[in-house]
Amino acid sequence: MAHTAIIIRMLRIVFYVALALSSFAALAGIGIFFVAVKDLPRVPEPLIRIIETPPTEIYAATGEKIMVIGGREFIPLSRVSQHFIQAVVATEDHRFWEHHGIDKLRTLKALWITLFKPGKVQGASTITQQLSKNLFFSFKRRYMRKFRELLVALQIESQYSKREILEAYINQIPIGVGAHGIEQGARTFFGKPASELTLAESALLAGLPKSPTRYNPYIHYDRAKKRQRVVLLRMVAVGYITQAMADRASYAELNLQKLPARARTGSYFLDIVVKSLEERYGPNVVHHGGLKVTTTIDPQLQSQAIKSLQKGLIELEKMMGVHTKTNESSGEKVVGPQGALVAVETNSGAIKALVGGRDYSETEYNRAVENKRLPGSGFKPFLYYTALEKLDINPATVFIDQPVTIPVIGAEDWSPRNFGLKHEGPMILKRALMKSVNSIAAQLVEKTGPEEVIRTARCSGIKSQLKPVYSVALGTSGVSPLEMASSFATFATGGVRHEAFWISRVEDALGRVLEEHIVGGKRSLDVSLVYQLVDMMRGVVDEGTGSIVRRLGFDLPAAGKTGTTDGYYDAWFTGFTPTLSTSVWVGYDKGEGLWDTRGMGITGGHGAAPIWADFMIKATDGEPHREFVIPSDIRLERVDLITGYKANDSTLNPMRIALREGQNLYENIVGDETLNDSTILFPSWAP
Amino acid sequence: MEWYEPRDFREWAKRLFAIRHLVLILFILSIFISELRFDWFEQTVGSYLVATNSKRPESGAIWEIGHRTITARKTLDKIVTDRQFLQREARGATTFTQMVLNILPNKGIMLSSERFRKIYLTLPQTIAQKIASPFEMLRLFSDGSWVRTYLEKAGDDLKIYLLNAHNRVLKELEIPSDLIQYIERVDMALTGTLEDLPSFENRIYSAAHFFAALRSLPQEDLRSVVSQPEMLLSMPGHIVRVGISDEAVSGFIELGFEIEDGTKRKVILLQGREWAVWTLRSYLEEKEGEPNTNVKSQNDRM
Repeated sequence: MAHTAIIIRMLRIVFYVALALSSFAALAGIGIFFVAVKDLPRVPEPLIRIIETPPTEIYAATGEKIMVIGGREFIPLSRVSQHFIQAVVATEDHRFWEHHGIDKLRTLKALWITLFKPGKVQGASTITQQLSKNLFFSFKRRYMRKFRELLVALQIESQYSKREILEAYINQIPIGVGAHGIEQGARTFFGKPASELTLAESALLAGLPKSPTRYNPYIHYDRAKKRQRVVLLRMVAVGYITQAMADRASYAELNLQKLPARARTGSYFLDIVVKSLEERYGPNVVHHGGLKVTTTIDPQLQSQAIKSLQKGLIELEKMMGVHTKTNESSGEKVVGPQGALVAVETNSGAIKALVGGRDYSETEYNRAVENKRLPGSGFKPFLYYTALEKLDINPATVFIDQPVTIPVIGAEDWSPRNFGLKHEGPMILKRALMKSVNSIAAQLVEKTGPEEVIRTARCSGIKSQLKPVYSVALGTSGVSPLEMASSFATFATGGVRHEAFWISRVEDALGRVLEEHIVGGKRSLDVSLVYQLVDMMRGVVDEGTGSIVRRLGFDLPAAGKTGTTDGYYDAWFTGFTPTLSTSVWVGYDKGEGLWDTRGMGITGGHGAAPIWADFMIKATDGEPHREFVIPSDIRLERVDLITGYKANDSTLNPMRIALREGQNLYENIVGDETLNDSTILFPSWAP
Repeated sequence: MEWYEPRDFREWAKRLFAIRHLVLILFILSIFISELRFDWFEQTVGSYLVATNSKRPESGAIWEIGHRTITARKTLDKIVTDRQFLQREARGATTFTQMVLNILPNKGIMLSSERFRKIYLTLPQTIAQKIASPFEMLRLFSDGSWVRTYLEKAGDDLKIYLLNAHNRVLKELEIPSDLIQYIERVDMALTGTLEDLPSFENRIYSAAHFFAALRSLPQEDLRSVVSQPEMLLSMPGHIVRVGISDEAVSGFIELGFEIEDGTKRKVILLQGREWAVWTLRSYLEEKEGEPNTNVKSQNDRM
């Protein structure tokens, strides 16, 4: 009896404790409710209003849309494939049409698993709760955040119809590859509107919001297919489709749009566009203001530039015997050489193509703009122009290629060496540039002074810091490929400099013009001197260090200059036609030279010029044969490439040179008073 | 009956399953079941939140985006409004000076070629010639390629770009700051007297003396001294004195015509060709010896 009394007493205690706890929980719940409600965000009316933010759209010069920043493309539920709606409901919240914001059974089940199955956490968020979270809350896992999210979900359910909720949900879910909302997603992945999605496509897209990166079909196709299968099975389980339909959809081929690749086409380029816009208007306007930006890029040239650079780098790797790959065991990536390519329209300065590295997804460092690499001999055209201008010499003036030592005040003497460590003796100036002879370049810069060379470079469009030392003429100050392409474009236009630009017009969402680029050129170099230089640079392409361009089949009139730095750290080729100036750089990002499998260094002529040729052949496809304009005071002569004498029938190696009015070949033979203490060859040795 | 503690399970069970308790348990169960079935609790909470919605803050991710969008729109609206205001003012300008006043640093203005041509034509011939040859303007205007004109400040100078439909510069004109200042002075009648302008202080002549000397010049040279007599004629009041500047700029010498209009005095500036003004000065000095800087006081005494 006493035993029974004890049990009853125990039961009574348990009952009262439970009652007290329940009362406390109820009171605490009410308290928490009012605390949570205090800072609960206001739900907008109508719900879709805040989803509609105008996107900033970036267009190519051809009018093609190449990037969309921010914004949402809202579409009504009636314009969404029924398959997708069913797939989303089946996967995310199959009792969506029945509950009032919270699926209590699913929540209890999830709670049970979370509490009693260690290591397992199960979510039970309904579509309304997910919408609430996406619209108002951060993604930090906190109980109070979860509770507030639930409260807002309850409000949304009370305030809006199920169709309105689902409409808002599918218009804002992240689908991946930068797409938000089903319309953007359908167009991004399948190039079609959301209304035309098939069952297979709908199942694939409905599976992505769980983890757009993990299930990105462009990178992890198999994972995405497995996820698609999961979605299809859910649809079967819920009764939306039959097993046979699911099987058919599962095996159906997915025609993924190549759009994401194309969207990336201009990524390095788009980076500089967005950066410029942010500097001018501020990040807020760029990301939320709905700008319409017309750029200068030509998508076809851009696409070709990427292909040419990637193909060229693969060839370079073969030459070097290295491969860009990930070491499976260590996970460490073996990175091959990098590269950059910039193409500028000569008569405007408009950037038509810009690639800042081999793969934007691997590295966003823009080597076309930010990478200041030594141009080596690629800088010599600025020296040669300066020499033609200041030293009263011409392309047929004879110099001796011989070891030179130039005294430098307050420093060691400067003794530049030729690339091949050999000296060829006398040769005309044009040949010296074609063969990129350092000893003759050193003689020229000694006479002109480095400051004058820098002045020419500045007039042409080089903006980077240049050290006023003799060696600057041999490219010992870093410049970017963009600067090189832009400054060589000044040569292509006969000395008229156009500032490089990449944005031609900016409008607001209502089409009101915010800015327009004015295409104006400024004469900065003498037209006749530039022509003499261009003629010499044509020699580089036709018969000099860049002649591989011709061997690879580029046959339009072109001029250019190779560049290679000591230790083969950088290989350049910058060249131009009358309409397009293109600069290519290849090299390692850090401290490694370019060496082939035989241990020979790779020059600009072998590393960069083939990429240039490949790009320019495609870029100029179908263009007419267009010559550089010859100024009226220029006459073309043929001379002996060693003596500089006017060529005759017996001349073995005649070479074409350009002379200005008042210049004649006789002067070459008697020499020039201003230079007769230098190494210019006098006729004592001449025949 | 007084309450007593149940002494055994039977008693306890009897009490537990009493009708009153069963009704209570059924009532509680029905509440739970009806909640599961009809979601009335969620609906009640939801309705309460709907009712208090307007009192809650506009916070949270999507509201922040919304606010940023509104801020961005306002920023853009301001940029566009400012730009449109300047464009409107510039388009409404009737003189070159008015147009230049509307150009702010880093904010150029775009005009149609037609509008710019009209303003160009308001300039005195000598100044217009300095800005651009009228024949060059005629050539550009007639071939139809000149569509728009963009004007921007470059330091204190003014740059004018004559553009084609693709925004390519057909011709670039640069107007130095001293010429802009000069145009401003020509455009505006300066309130005050010739003594207020230091460049005239050495050569101020009475109007009668000046025009007598002017009459001595050959007929064909008169416009070389006074390029726009019509403009002077159109001014209210009458000319009382004329000053000749000591400085010649680009082959031109400035002349100041002091006009008395009731109790007010103002100075109109014109440019004369240097050689013609020199000739006139020799006539003036022959007739009077040295220029009279005290003419004003003499006139005032008259």
